[in-house]
Amino acid sequence: MAASLVRFVRSGFGRSLNVARQSAAIVQTRSTTTESRPTVRPKDPVTHSQLSEFGEYVAEILPKYVQQVQVTCFNELEIMVHPEGIIPVLTFLKDHTNAQFRNLADLTAVDIPSKQNRFEIVYNLLSLHYNSRIRVKTYTDELTPLDSSVPVFQASNWYEREVWDMFGVFFTNHPDLRRILTDYGFEGHPFRKDFPLSGYVEVRYDDEVKRVVAEPVELAQEFRKFDLNSPWEAFPAYRGPKDAPKLESGDKSEK
Amino acid sequence: MAGLLKKTTGLVGLAVSQNPHERLGNLYVKILSCLQRIPQDAAYRKYTEQLISERFNHVKTEPDVGKLEKKINAGQIEEVIAQAEAELSLSRKMVEWKAWEPLIEEAPANQWKWPI
Repeated sequence: MAASLVRFVRSGFGRSLNVARQSAAIVQTRSTTTESRPTVRPKDPVTHSQLSEFGEYVAEILPKYVQQVQVTCFNELEIMVHPEGIIPVLTFLKDHTNAQFRNLADLTAVDIPSKQNRFEIVYNLLSLHYNSRIRVKTYTDELTPLDSSVPVFQASNWYEREVWDMFGVFFTNHPDLRRILTDYGFEGHPFRKDFPLSGYVEVRYDDEVKRVVAEPVELAQEFRKFDLNSPWEAFPAYRGPKDAPKLESGDKSEK
Repeated sequence: MAGLLKKTTGLVGLAVSQNPHERLGNLYVKILSCLQRIPQDAAYRKYTEQLISERFNHVKTEPDVGKLEKKINAGQIEEVIAQAEAELSLSRKMVEWKAWEPLIEEAPANQWKWPI
């Protein structure tokens, strides 16, 4: 009984293997026929041209504030704006009949410490009327305050508090700018790149004092150094021009 | 007439307009007069004047609200009124900002370069 079962299983297994081989052969033939078309993201030139046209439209109407307009490879329209023009640009996008971006979907910041203005502030807007999205970007540094967008979008109230809490970007004319995510008495801005991953203080419950006490962080183990450099080139499409080795003019005169 | 047949716009906070033609006409006249204060060659004035006068013509020539909505093709007439109100406040602000002037300041070098 058991032997017959085993046999049955074996034969079944063999059959399935055969099927697998056949299917593999079919897949191979198919892949050879369709290899001329590589599996890449399909392009959408219609959306792309519409977005770039609208970007040019905005840049033409607001030449005072718009520094750069671009459409990303995922068909997202981005408008780079001078920090002084953030209120006019947002108001224009909200109120103009051909734009009607009435919803602020998101507001956040990016910290790039090596740049002169290290913070990039990003506004994502949504137009329900035209079913489209747009991204407005501006920049600032640690000390320069930025105009608050609360008079334009009520939704930006808490987002700006979050950016203030996490990055320390100050927004002028904000109705209620205070911490929103960190603990009471917290110092520092945790999303800055120069903020240590372990933080500066740790809290624990002290049985003697009968309360939670905050102490400076003590690490039992030394930090291990991780080498995060990849052997691969991450952005070959964005390769800069090669620096040709130059001879200094002083060398020539010596010779 | 529209108010007799139409009970609601179906949109929260947007009431049915009893006299849409009058309201739209007033708003469009105000917008166009506000645009006069912007230089002739400014892109904002050019595009907005074209858009508003086109809609104003429809409002003048078409007495029936339903057909007017189809001609303007921007949703219900109440939404068109809301758009006109927003455009009016925007045009007044644009005069204040003088947004047609050349760029105030170029971005610092490599500010928008990504990846670094």
